Amino acid sequence: MADLISTPLIVTLILGVVGLAIPIIDAFKKERGSNNRLYSGIAFGALIITIGFVIFRVLSGEVMPAVLFSKGVLTDDLFGSFFAIALLIVSIMVTASSWNYMKGRINPAAYYSLILLSSIGMVLIAYSTDLVMLLVAWELMSIPTYALAAFSKRDPISNEAAIKYFMFGALSSAILVFAIGLVYGITGTTNIGSSIQAMASLQKGLVPVGLLAIGLFIAGFGFKMGLVPFHMWLPDAYEGAPTTIGALLAAGTKKAGFAAALRVIVLGMFALNVDWTVTLAIVAVFTMTLGNLGALIQKSVPRILAYSSIAQAGYILIGIALAPYSNQALTGSLFHILNHAVMKSAGFIAAAAVAATLASYSLEKYRGLGRRMPITAIAFSISLLALAGVPPLNGFWSKLVLFGAAINSGSVVAWGPYLAIAGVLNSALSLGYYAWIIRKMYMEEGPDMSKVKEPRAMVAVLVFAMVFMVGFGVWHAPILQFASKAVPHLSNIVPTGSNHLSNIVPSSKTLHDF
Amino acid sequence: MVGDNLKMAGIVGFEGIAIFAWLVWILPFAGGAIIPAVAKVGKKVRDYTAVGFALASAISAAALIPLAFSGSEIHSQINWISVVNVKAGVLPDPLSIVMTNLVAWISFLIIIYSTGYMHGDRDLTRYWFFMLFFIGSMQLIVLSDNLLMVFFGWEGVGLASYALIGFWYYDKKKDFVGSIGDRAGGIAMWASPSHAGMKAFLMTRAGDTMMLAGMFMIFIYSGTFGFKELLQNQAWAAQMAHQNLLVPAAVLLFGGAVGKSAQFPLNEWLLEAMTGPTPVSALIHAATMVKAGVFLVARIGPLFFALAAFGMTQFFEVVAWVGAITAFLLATQAIVNPEIKKVLAYSTGSQIGYMMMALGIAGLSVNFVDGYAAGFFQLMSHAMFKASLFMGAGALLHTVGSRFMTDMGGLRKHMRKTYIFMLLASLSLAAAPLITAGFWSKDAIFAAVLESGYAHALPLFGVAVVVAAMTAFYTFRMIGMAFFGKKSKYLEEMEQRGHHLHEVGPNMWVPFAILAVATIATGVVGFIIGPQITNYLGGYLVHYFGIGKEVPSAGVSIAPEGGKTFFGLNPTAAAASFGAFAIGAILGYIVYIARKVDPEIISRNIVTRAIWKFLYNRWYLNTLLYWGAVIGPMAIYRIIWRYFESTIIDGISPAFQYTMAYFSKVVRAGQTGITQTYLFVFGVGIMIIVMLMLL
Repeated sequence: MADLISTPLIVTLILGVVGLAIPIIDAFKKERGSNNRLYSGIAFGALIITIGFVIFRVLSGEVMPAVLFSKGVLTDDLFGSFFAIALLIVSIMVTASSWNYMKGRINPAAYYSLILLSSIGMVLIAYSTDLVMLLVAWELMSIPTYALAAFSKRDPISNEAAIKYFMFGALSSAILVFAIGLVYGITGTTNIGSSIQAMASLQKGLVPVGLLAIGLFIAGFGFKMGLVPFHMWLPDAYEGAPTTIGALLAAGTKKAGFAAALRVIVLGMFALNVDWTVTLAIVAVFTMTLGNLGALIQKSVPRILAYSSIAQAGYILIGIALAPYSNQALTGSLFHILNHAVMKSAGFIAAAAVAATLASYSLEKYRGLGRRMPITAIAFSISLLALAGVPPLNGFWSKLVLFGAAINSGSVVAWGPYLAIAGVLNSALSLGYYAWIIRKMYMEEGPDMSKVKEPRAMVAVLVFAMVFMVGFGVWHAPILQFASKAVPHLSNIVPTGSNHLSNIVPSSKTLHDF
Repeated sequence: MVGDNLKMAGIVGFEGIAIFAWLVWILPFAGGAIIPAVAKVGKKVRDYTAVGFALASAISAAALIPLAFSGSEIHSQINWISVVNVKAGVLPDPLSIVMTNLVAWISFLIIIYSTGYMHGDRDLTRYWFFMLFFIGSMQLIVLSDNLLMVFFGWEGVGLASYALIGFWYYDKKKDFVGSIGDRAGGIAMWASPSHAGMKAFLMTRAGDTMMLAGMFMIFIYSGTFGFKELLQNQAWAAQMAHQNLLVPAAVLLFGGAVGKSAQFPLNEWLLEAMTGPTPVSALIHAATMVKAGVFLVARIGPLFFALAAFGMTQFFEVVAWVGAITAFLLATQAIVNPEIKKVLAYSTGSQIGYMMMALGIAGLSVNFVDGYAAGFFQLMSHAMFKASLFMGAGALLHTVGSRFMTDMGGLRKHMRKTYIFMLLASLSLAAAPLITAGFWSKDAIFAAVLESGYAHALPLFGVAVVVAAMTAFYTFRMIGMAFFGKKSKYLEEMEQRGHHLHEVGPNMWVPFAILAVATIATGVVGFIIGPQITNYLGGYLVHYFGIGKEVPSAGVSIAPEGGKTFFGLNPTAAAASFGAFAIGAILGYIVYIARKVDPEIISRNIVTRAIWKFLYNRWYLNTLLYWGAVIGPMAIYRIIWRYFESTIIDGISPAFQYTMAYFSKVVRAGQTGITQTYLFVFGVGIMIIVMLMLL
């Protein structure tokens, strides 16, 4: 009975019913293909109820860490809830801002329905404890976004973006299936917990196969996370897709990729020989450096944001690479994931607001934006500063935890502090383009300095994001504590008896160590 | 589990009466934040919102009073910067509850006054925002339980003062301060609002920097910013004292207070701060800004006294002497200034000097509580009469339209209420014996200095008495110049133009009338109030700091060594304050009220004229400041810029810039847009990663 009120199930139920109902309502409407506001409102309401439910469950302490749902396929734990909240915030921001963005565009019913279905997929990824369930959720998340990326179907750039995105999506799904097959082959189970346990006592000869599986997982998930060298599709797709969908991809599905990676790779890390984590560290450094360098001389704002999200993935990966060596590393990753979800959505939605009113993505159009669209400009500036990690905004604190973890890990692993150095240098480099945009908005004047009407719903979303970024910058304790409580739940899915795992998986107790 | 998760969400820490201590400072901030939104609804709604939030904050402060009477405190904490385990918290205790009520209610009256004074100003939204922000920041300083939060409030106060002093940033001549065209040592002695705002901001910043340094020095050794924690575990003090760092750290902390409270040598900003709207001046002088410094010293004073074992004497000596010097310095300047608000500003600095002197002498005497209570009493009475005086001066400015007292005169017939209530408040400032709050608090300071047993108590006492005489003189001078004598030419011209000199509206005079009456009412029962405060703070000190084990009973406290005469006054101190008041008041009366002697006589003699000029030019401190801290550094900066920045830095940075741009181009070149390339890279990537892992 407890299973029936388990969080993932309720989330699936609410979002699924509403997501399917929207096209049906549309079928009965006289003017089919319009009514954007109605559907936006419905989808927004459903998402608010869902996130309200998840937060209520977390606050009331009714999450059941150990209760497995449906034969160990899904669990209801704080780790899942953490991601569910982060991902639902993104969906809410995207849905609310689409109120303006989708005005006058075709097929709003399908648009909102697809966002809701994709949200289910994202949330379920965070809660799954079985590789097959994970794959199903992964596809549920991905397939609607292929259609969403191609939503402006008369626009060739959007189509090209969607095709690239789809091809890589298909490839990565294939790789994931292959990896799952390998895991099943060597361990005889698809349950993540059991397979990890089995891997820990793998025959010597099979260890390379296990590593190959992990490598394939990195590639498969890495495509969504935007890790170098699996990132090449990403700037094209984020730029070509409708800008609000860019927010969904960069802030939402990307974070779901991290959820999956944390569930699978981190535990695999503990089970197998941990020496190879240096590979992840190398990937992290390449990812952040390439992302920042790529962003430096771009002319299109969504493209800059796309590169910046590659760079941010690199920072988050620091925490994952250091998970075995530092207690705060994973906490830092989770913390940064939630922060980045809001910062990046805010960035994309600000760009969407500009695109909706000025019909351009070009950085040149942002000149004088501070006077033309004051709220959008200030929200965009704050989100850029938060992305750069300027105190006291929220992005500063999560980077502090991440880099602090890297420095602290120096006593265990020699290359740890270098990650912090790389991160700090990259943050400095990233200001080169973040500050550049702010400079364009405030210190330069464009040919047209007339004031434009800012889209209301987007302004509301941006104000929310500003309050979040500044508010949780001033008082970050709640999120950090939530993250540090969520991390230990990661290891709870491993059946008891394998104590050496729980020893290494971080606990919140030592969080204050630095 | 439930509690656990609530704690995680940070909700624990807000229960019970503690919630009011949070609300006191959160409400003004919240009100400020919604003012711009409310302004869209309507102007009336906006003004009422501001008043409403100020009132709500004041009521929250009042809700804490029962706690103060029970002599207990609440320490409510939540996690704040968890990465370094720094907690945020509020600490309503007997000291801070009195202070927070003082701030809240005076601010509330000033906000009411503002609705009249600022009526019709085009930037009222900005005004309300910063006023509420100002109050919120000050309450944060008062109620917070640690130095770090105090510092945030400190900076908030600094920012708000900058914005409000320069509120009329469009720099109209009538909003200037000083006589335009007046120079001393080549430096302009007048300032525009935007210049004055910048000056206040930068000068207090000098103090803030010291404070930050002091704070972090203590943090390095103690690992905490919390007042309670610092007191509980004193190992840090021993360690710091061992390395001779304790007194420097304490003095650096005091540096923050020097800047904020406009004490010597950071006193110059206060005089130009008069460019703000008058309610702002009232707020700065009575409730917020300058009191922050005194409050900080009152907050950390007992803590440092409790550490007396590690040798804190020098710290208290610095505090006492800085106070004494400032009191003297600014009182001499107040005597010669022709601008009413500036006279009041000098007087504030001078009176704050008294408070510092009292708090300093507390640490140097046997009975810590005497000086401490005297200083705090002075803070309270000064808050009341100075707020009242500023609002009264604002009423004069509002009617007359000139900041110079030479443009006033004979106004008592036209502005009856303003005259009466300003006179009452002035009597308190001049310390008219036995019936004014100012008298009792000043007398308590005299007594505390005399009885301290500090080796150099006599010079301090001398300074205090001389300053008291000067205070009485310039107060009567101000009243006389504004309300007595003949109308000035300026006023006559005004009336000829058909301008009618009228009394101000009730939303303006009622607030300062309340405070003026309160200061006299306190004074009439001052002989009870004084010992009460001593008892009250004595209990606080004994209870929380273990200072002065046996609480002195009422009356005895002020004169422990049998020198007790009527009303529990120390005879020497009382005689001195009677005498000082008499000398100052009589001189002031003869020259400016009865107008028997023409003040012009001083310009006939070369010596008196030179003294006058020296005082009028503010001891040339402003000149020194500008040459030493503005013009000099600018010259050095130009040299550095010319020979270092423009050659070396500008030489290096393009190299860096082009290198990065080159790398960026390389990355971009890889981004071909061809899907086949992408897939190829993807495939190669997998192979490399798997090989790296298998290595």
